[in-house]
Amino acid sequence: MFFTAISTVAITLFIVGFFLIIVYDVQSVLSSIKSQVEVAVYLKDNITDELKVYLQDEIKGWDEVEEIAFVSKDQALEKFKKENEGSEILKEIQGNPLPASFEIKLTSPEKVEQVALRFLDKDGNYIEGVDEVIYGQNYVQKLFSITAIAGSIAFLIIIMLLLAAIVLVFNTIRLSIHARRKEIEVMKLVGATNWFVRIPFLFEGFFEGFVGSLIAVVLLYFMSNYLLIRGEKAIVDTMHVKELAILGTSNVVIYIYAGLIVLGGLMGIMSSSFALKRYIRV
Amino acid sequence: MNMIEFKNVTKVYEDKTVALKNISLTIKKGEFVFLVGPSGSGKSTMIKLLIREIPVSGGAIFVAGRNVCNLKSSRIPQLRRNIGSVFQDFKLLPNKTVFENVAFALEVIGKQTYIIKLQVPQVLKLVGLEHKLNSYPHQLSAGEQQRVSIARAFVNRPPILLADEPTGNLDPVTSEGIMKLLSRINLIGTTVAMATHDKNIVNSMRRRVIELEEGEMIRDQKRGVYGI
Repeated sequence: MFFTAISTVAITLFIVGFFLIIVYDVQSVLSSIKSQVEVAVYLKDNITDELKVYLQDEIKGWDEVEEIAFVSKDQALEKFKKENEGSEILKEIQGNPLPASFEIKLTSPEKVEQVALRFLDKDGNYIEGVDEVIYGQNYVQKLFSITAIAGSIAFLIIIMLLLAAIVLVFNTIRLSIHARRKEIEVMKLVGATNWFVRIPFLFEGFFEGFVGSLIAVVLLYFMSNYLLIRGEKAIVDTMHVKELAILGTSNVVIYIYAGLIVLGGLMGIMSSSFALKRYIRV
Repeated sequence: MNMIEFKNVTKVYEDKTVALKNISLTIKKGEFVFLVGPSGSGKSTMIKLLIREIPVSGGAIFVAGRNVCNLKSSRIPQLRRNIGSVFQDFKLLPNKTVFENVAFALEVIGKQTYIIKLQVPQVLKLVGLEHKLNSYPHQLSAGEQQRVSIARAFVNRPPILLADEPTGNLDPVTSEGIMKLLSRINLIGTTVAMATHDKNIVNSMRRRVIELEEGEMIRDQKRGVYGI
């Protein structure tokens, strides 16, 4: 019974931890994609320097704005040339047809539409000096709804897994207490106090939860450092995502380990205490 | 001195079964009392009420002058330490030896090891099992198992010993041995109440008989027999 309880805790918490890492990484990738959402404000060629500076200062003051960069006509052309090096299109360009622009990074990408709307006046025309505002109107909303759905699914999966873990561990511990109900009955009959009966079971439940979660963490550690880490390296190389569970600077994986151990101990002790309630009332 | 007193005690179970109706009786210190009556007459209910395994529905029960009905749940263990209980099914722990089964009763009430080592062999000698200290329950006969359970109930020297059909699973010869043992425990000064429907035992012992029928006390007779 003892080993059944420990292995139940180990296996269920291992699965919970494994999914936590995966879900965290998926969320990181998604929010990294989201953070690439920017607002590009293209300026009219005839805009005055005063208006340009005024606009820039104004935009900087908005709450939603994290960073604003000015790209001059020359810089835009330079960038365009770099991006299209060796292409036929460069030969056809005469002069500089590219507009100057502001590139705005947002504190929360979900507010992109609000920010874009600020460049319109009451009649729906662009304000003075602004030629066009582009923020990927078509795909941004889809991106956000996809990330929102992915987020809720991930949350649900974690909750379901946790529930399954709690139910499994509770039942295992309940069975092991049930197997010793005669002992409890005799203890109560000869005048043992409730705490005298309870404490060894609570201790045992805690021990099972603690050891089980330690095993889960050790398994997860090897899993992370030999398998998951490769996946994360690939993500870092291709998508430049920084905050991943294992490779990130905030050591999320350590918190997951610690959380699992605390959870294991709590689950063990709580399961014992709830399961005992039925048998202690003699 | 009244060791046990029932005052207008009524017990109605959750399923509305009336187990005891307005029972009043007193049992004095050092008495030996048989509770007789057919199955379902309320004998076991009386025993369960005495050790507060179940609560009363009406009336009051006094053990050694103290009302046990309004006892706080934290005080119930103290009550049970003063009442030894013996059951038809022995309630021995199969994975413990004879010695350990009896010692268990002292361990769980926090007795020190040297007291356990002193008292357990003594009580096992009293029940005639001093040579079976290290046997397991399954290696013993039914009569021997009941002796172990009596030893466990008595090892703490409680002033009261309750026995619920202690001979229910035993043959007549073995039962006689158990009754001799209970008599001896009674002679030391222990108040003994025994529920039974074993006619021969009651008739041969000629002790006080309290007869129950459908939850009502229909007879309380000194030196009685099973049926009139």
